[in-house]
Amino acid sequence: MTKIPLLTILMLISISNAALASDSLFYKELNLIGGHSRQNGWVGHTQELSNSVGFEHYAKFSSDYGDFLTTDLQIRGAYDPNQPFSDAISCEIHNAWAEYRASNTIKIKVGHFEPAYGLGQIIDVHSTILQLLTMENIGYTKDWGVELRGSASGFDYWVALQLGSGMSIRRLDSSYLFSARIGTPAGRDFQYGVSALCGNVLDTEGMSTFPKNHLLSDEAIQKERIGFDCVYNWNSFVLKGEADFGVNSNNSVIGYLMEADYTPPKNQNWEFAAQFKSFVNDLGSSRTDDSKLSLGLTYRLSQTTKISAAFTHDLNQYHQPRDTEFLVQFYYYGK
Amino acid sequence: MENKSQISTILIATLILCFVCSVSFAAIGCELNDPDRDIQKIFPQSTGYKTDYFTIQEKGGEKLKKEVEEKLGDAFDPIYESLDVPYSYYTILKGKDVIGYVHGVNQKGTYGTLQIILATDPDGKIMGFYYQKVSSPEALKFRDKAFTDKFIGLTLEDFYKYGDPNGKIAAIKDPSQKSQEDFKATIRGTKKNLILLDTFLLNKKHEGSYKGVRNDEYK
Repeated sequence: MTKIPLLTILMLISISNAALASDSLFYKELNLIGGHSRQNGWVGHTQELSNSVGFEHYAKFSSDYGDFLTTDLQIRGAYDPNQPFSDAISCEIHNAWAEYRASNTIKIKVGHFEPAYGLGQIIDVHSTILQLLTMENIGYTKDWGVELRGSASGFDYWVALQLGSGMSIRRLDSSYLFSARIGTPAGRDFQYGVSALCGNVLDTEGMSTFPKNHLLSDEAIQKERIGFDCVYNWNSFVLKGEADFGVNSNNSVIGYLMEADYTPPKNQNWEFAAQFKSFVNDLGSSRTDDSKLSLGLTYRLSQTTKISAAFTHDLNQYHQPRDTEFLVQFYYYGK
Repeated sequence: MENKSQISTILIATLILCFVCSVSFAAIGCELNDPDRDIQKIFPQSTGYKTDYFTIQEKGGEKLKKEVEEKLGDAFDPIYESLDVPYSYYTILKGKDVIGYVHGVNQKGTYGTLQIILATDPDGKIMGFYYQKVSSPEALKFRDKAFTDKFIGLTLEDFYKYGDPNGKIAAIKDPSQKSQEDFKATIRGTKKNLILLDTFLLNKKHEGSYKGVRNDEYK
């Protein structure tokens, strides 16, 4: 079972480099992150980001009649300085998918990709310190499975069936995740969508694919959600919002996020961000929320390189002490 | 022992992958958010499309950059127009026949990025024009069909005659009240888009119409 991801990678890479590929893009990636946490002292990673080097290989395949297949493979070799060396290095497979264009309105995707739920479906946060609600809602940002993506007059839709395991391939306790989103087409100034999911999701920790990330319990968590999300591009601002309601096993839960990003017109290298997100783990009890306020600042050195800083402050934490963290990130994604 | 084996697997996999991959590019300049929907709207008779990526770095490097800047009449912006950023080109097909191209560029605007998308016939004549993204308080005026339709039928030759007061470009009026810089940026971005199309896909078909431009066009 552990060899399946590796075989998938090699298969995708082999396909990508075969004579069939009409064109492809190869990006190198470097992510350096570090900072100080009031609870944990010096830290070298976040829940989603580690110090890492990696690449992304994106390819299009076509015949005389046009494109019929797209593949994407994004891998990071991560290093966690807070772990002993033997456990510090890991391989993270983020994107590993192939999408077949069945027609101009229907695509079928297989591999490792985002669940069809919420803002994570339309906003790429793979390099940003400020993350969306996906980790709180589902427990991971990507999963292994199949997806049907389609478009109709005035809206797009996604339906996905995945393993419910996240970064690593596992199937325990009948785990699975079914998710679906319907929303306005990409590219509009105001985009919105409605999502739903249900499944038995494994509770894991860490972004590692090899070795497998830590499984916190052999029992899957039964999850159900319905959510609404929106993004509004307004002049120099990007405003994002998401609200989710549902059940984790026997507890009713609710989550919401608000974020405003601002690029000053005269200094477009700079970007400011402010985010508030909260996830209430049990609506039937008081003070069960994980609530966080974050402020972010990014300076773009070029189209491929940026330096970011973020200050995050926990307003409340359900299972652990409140924390305040300051992080700095250097990020390169390009040639 | 198990850890050693896992680390070896990771290192071997990484090495294999690094050697197998060979082509190198940077972040994409401007690609269509939804190519199937957009292409079908502009070319309802199309049956498919083929995507290609080009960079100025690959196609001629610093020399080509200078050539494009000279034709454009302006220097490239280091944040928006670096050499190694790939541009996406969609060749529109009806069966196996090429019936047009769709291509976009990022252009620095007053409030942020303008993404200017052009659809052209196989000779490079504009058949469709729209903003995929426009950061401006007067975005609606720029997106208005009455304005975007004014670009239909234009060719790179018309943009090379930008300074001619009787030319076709001079006849296009700024639709905004207070966003003159975004209007100028739109003209610049459209011209850049056509120059790159001519360079990457049309084998410099419009080279003959280039007679030099004034260096103060966008000042």
